[in-house]
This record gives sequence, structure tokens and C-alpha cells, in this order.
Amino acid sequence: MQEEKVKCDVLCIGGGIAGLMAAIKAADTGVEVVVVEKSNTLRSGAGGMGNDHFQCYIPEIHGDFDTFWRELFYGQMVGFFQQLDTDYIRYWFENSFDIVKLWNSWGIPMTYQGRYEFAGHGFPGKQLNHLKYSGMNQKPVLTREAKKRGVKIINRVMGVDILKNEEGRAIGAIGLCTREDKIYVFEAAGVILSTGNCSRIYPSVTPGADNNRAFPLSNSGDGRAMAYRAGAELKNLELVHRHAGPKYFARCGQATWVGVLRDRNGNAVGPWASRPDKTYGDMATEVSKTIFEEYRKSGKGPVYMDMTGITEEDLAYMVHFMKNEGNDSILNHMAGEGLDLGKAAVEFQTFEMQVDGGVKADCRGETAVKGLYAAGDDVSGTISHAAVFGWSAGENAATYASSVKAKDIETSRTFIEEKKDFIDSIKTRKNGATWRETLSGLQQVMVDYCGAVRSSVLLEAGLDLVRRLKKKARASLTAENPHDLMNCLQVLNQIDIGELVLISALDRRETRALHVRTDYTFNDPLLGNKIHLIRQVDGQPVTAWIPVNR
Amino acid sequence: MPPVINKELCNGCGKCAEICPSDVFFGSEIGKTPVVSYPDECWHENACVNDCPVGAVTLRIPLSMMVVYK
Repeated sequence: MQEEKVKCDVLCIGGGIAGLMAAIKAADTGVEVVVVEKSNTLRSGAGGMGNDHFQCYIPEIHGDFDTFWRELFYGQMVGFFQQLDTDYIRYWFENSFDIVKLWNSWGIPMTYQGRYEFAGHGFPGKQLNHLKYSGMNQKPVLTREAKKRGVKIINRVMGVDILKNEEGRAIGAIGLCTREDKIYVFEAAGVILSTGNCSRIYPSVTPGADNNRAFPLSNSGDGRAMAYRAGAELKNLELVHRHAGPKYFARCGQATWVGVLRDRNGNAVGPWASRPDKTYGDMATEVSKTIFEEYRKSGKGPVYMDMTGITEEDLAYMVHFMKNEGNDSILNHMAGEGLDLGKAAVEFQTFEMQVDGGVKADCRGETAVKGLYAAGDDVSGTISHAAVFGWSAGENAATYASSVKAKDIETSRTFIEEKKDFIDSIKTRKNGATWRETLSGLQQVMVDYCGAVRSSVLLEAGLDLVRRLKKKARASLTAENPHDLMNCLQVLNQIDIGELVLISALDRRETRALHVRTDYTFNDPLLGNKIHLIRQVDGQPVTAWIPVNR
Repeated sequence: MPPVINKELCNGCGKCAEICPSDVFFGSEIGKTPVVSYPDECWHENACVNDCPVGAVTLRIPLSMMVVYK
């Protein structure tokens, strides 16, 4: 297998919003930056086709920060914020407007009809923190800005593992080319993980169609798995969430729809909306994304996003932002079906479980491994989070990289050769397991043993099963070409995460949100302000609880 | 087969294969009509449709993904 060595000061693994923002900021400080991207930075990641809402604090709109801050904790995102340190959230919002101005200056339209427009994800009459923006071109713009600063972008290369020196410091990474039979060895002083979220641990909503997902298929938890194997901490992995959106066409962006959630008889299912309202939408889906599942299971029937009664102006507004949210394909599909959106009621659905927790990183992007940073969906969700903390991680990784001498990557040669041998074994094996059957194997265990119902006996049995699957997969996976090989390494990452979700779920002896333990039915208030960590010590997973910094 | 390429319009520029997030066009060559090697890895996000400079690509949404409405 051919090997190519690439040297740089800062390496960003993943070229989504966080990775490109990190690269741009790092390059601005004068260091040499490489972005390694599994797809192509022009369209990769959860923001690949765009986005239309950017959480931020704008002084001229929101006024006093402390008032804004207090309101933030009464809004829709409160459950999400509870998992994060206060200084982290504060850093996020205090730095959000600078990014808005920057993006606007680069040509990502952050205003609508000449003004800052806030809408969605908020209760009627309450403060809104989601700025509507037209982000359809955000990835081409960020790619251009990175290249302008001399950032080297290497597309179609998947980050495989972090390289460390004898002191335990991150000194680079191994990459796998997804188009040719080739391995990359990156030598860097600072490494940033920005690979995206972790979808596809659970079965999709459509039997036999694993590609029907709200998040991109390439978001396979690579960053989390690499971070764990490198010794960094992962947090709250067992606290899965379920997204909601149009039934059978799994897509994010439910808040971009301007309608009222109604049952089949036309009754509104929530108390917050009685007619389509572009400013507040219908908060029923925000308060309970599982409402669609509950209605179906209880026999109350389907729930529709009903646009009936929407004004022409608001319909145009909705369509504009749906395009910018990256939902062109569903718009085209509905048009092809002859749907008049202004009179339509589209059924919604609660999608499958998805891993919510991620890498433990602070507002500087630092992880527990020196020289290893994490940002974006590897840590926590949303575009503005990715932008703010990507920027921060880029700046700090660059400062760090300037202060340390790059280590000769050859000190990791044994590790590199072992990895190459392992990859070779998948490539040369005949008549073995496919990545697809392996992924299906993982998903059925996760849904049956670590799904809606959890208990120690179920979780222990599930853990045994996933560990058997892991052992067998490592010994029997086959790949016909580099594309298949990428899928094989992805599924091994997904298995690693699945195993860690099971261990973490076993260790959380309480019921919290969708983590429902039949043997620990009470919610433990003492764990309400704690973060659940898992890390590898001497090859074994070790869990710990640390307080949320409030 | 989600992406459908109109061979009459396609100029073989390779843009769709360059940008596809899932690399469903793996194995395609510039100068030729792209091949859809991995249709069941299509995420239906429309990148190929939107970025094709000559409008040669459409998506065929699978029947299992038909939106449900009343």
C-alpha cells in the first residue's frame, strides 16, 4: 500500500463548518494548515447543502446580555444547554455575533431583506435566538476562504487514527484515501477533530433503506471513536435523542416548516399555534419530538404539519429558507407529487435514536489529550456552535502548534505499520463479512438491547453481543475497493461507539429523557448537574461523573 | 437508482462525482458520463442536481421515501 507523508502545523480532520472555520482561523495566525476531508469540503457534512438558522446574540436586537442569558435558559434548548458548562455556553453566545459579521462579509447572507431576522425555536412572545440566514452557499464560501489563506485541502481521505508520541501528545494522524489504494501519514503539532456527528448506530425508519437518514451517511462518529482510542474523554454517550421531520423522507429542518401540527381531524395537537406563523412556527414539535411516535402508538393516528391558511408571503418565506436549509430535494419531490404547499398537510414522524453525546472539549477546543482538539458536532450540535468553537479550536491549536516543536512521526512507526497491516487484512481477505451486514448486526443489537427500554440485564447481554460482533468483524470484514474499505472502517468506528453507549447506559442508574431504565425508574436529581464521562485507561473503558460547571 | 443522468446533456465534467458527499459516483472518469456505483448510499441531498453546470442530473426519490400527506 502506497504511503504519502504530509507535514503541517495544524491538521483539521473533517472539513465541515467547524473544520473549515478552525482551518481559516489557524491559517490567519500564520501557521501551515491541512484539512483532510472524507468527502469534499464543497458539500460535505451536516451543513453541506446549507442551513437557515444560526443561534446568536446580537446586542442591537437582544439588548443586555444578562437578560438575553436568563431568557436562553427558559427557551426550547434548555435541555441541550443543561449538558454544557455555563462558561462554555457563555463563550458561544458572546462570540456568535463576530462570526455572523464575518460570514456576512464573506458572502454568506446573514440578513433577510436587509435586516437581522430572528424566527423559530421559540415560544410565542418570548426571546428568539435563531437568526434566519441564507446558508446554501456556506460550504463553497468557507472552502474558498480557507484556500485563499493557503490552507491545503485533501478531499476523499478519511481520518483513521490519531498518532501520539511517548509523552502522550497528539503528533499527527493516519488517513485512508477513499479513491485509491493509499495511506496518508500526517505529521502535525496540533490536531483538530471535526468529523461530524454519529448517525446510523440505530436502524433507519425505513426497513432495508439504511440511507434514509436525517443526517449525512458520512457522519459515522469517526471523531468520537478516534478521540476515545487516543485517550480523550467522551461525554453523555447514552443520552440519545430522536429528531423529527417529514415522514419517510428523513430530513432535519423541522422548524423551517411554517404550519400547525394537527391530527387527522384537523385539531391542533399543541397549545402554542392555531394558524401558520413564520416567526414562532409550532413549538409542539420542539417541546416533544416524540409526539408523532406517541400519537401513532396510542392509536390517535398521524400528525401533520398543516400549512393550510398560510399567506402567500409566508409561503415564499418558508420555501426560501427550506432551500437554504438544504431541503431542495424534498421540495422538488413534493412539487413532483403535485403538492400545493399552501394547502398541504404533510405527515411528520419521530426518527430513530441517535447518539447525542460527544467528545469532552472546553471552550478552547482542548480535550484530555495534549495537542488534540475537538469542535463542531464531534462535541455538540448546531451550526453556530460549530462555527464559534471551530474558530476557537483553530486559534488555540495554532498557538499551541507555534509553541511546540513538531515531533518526528517515525516514533509512531510501529503503530502505523500495525494499522496498515490491519487495513491490508480487510483488503486481501476473500469471502468475509460485508460492512453492510456488520452495520445491520450492530443496529439490531442497539435497538433491541439499548433502545427505548433499558435495564442492566438487557444492557449486559447487548454488550456481550456487540463485543462478539466487534471481534468477528475485525477478523472477517472484506472490501472490494477503497470505497468499501472506508465503509468497513466506518462500521468499526460505529461498533466502538455502540459498545461505549452500552457501557455508559449500564453505568447511568437512573431514567433521564430517552434513557429509560426499567430497573432504575426514578430520575436522579443528583445527576442532573453532572456530566458522564468515559475514557480508555490501560485499554479498558473507565467511567466517571464530573459536575457541570455552573 | 437515485441520481439519474441525462446522457444527452451531460458533458462529462465530473462535478457530480467530485462533490457527492457519499461518493455514489465512485469509479467515474472525467470526460465520460458518470456511473452511479452505489445508488443505495445516496443521501438524496441534491448536491449533484444543484451543482451540475448543465442541469443533467435529477434525483429519482425511491417509492419508500414518498412523502405522506393529506
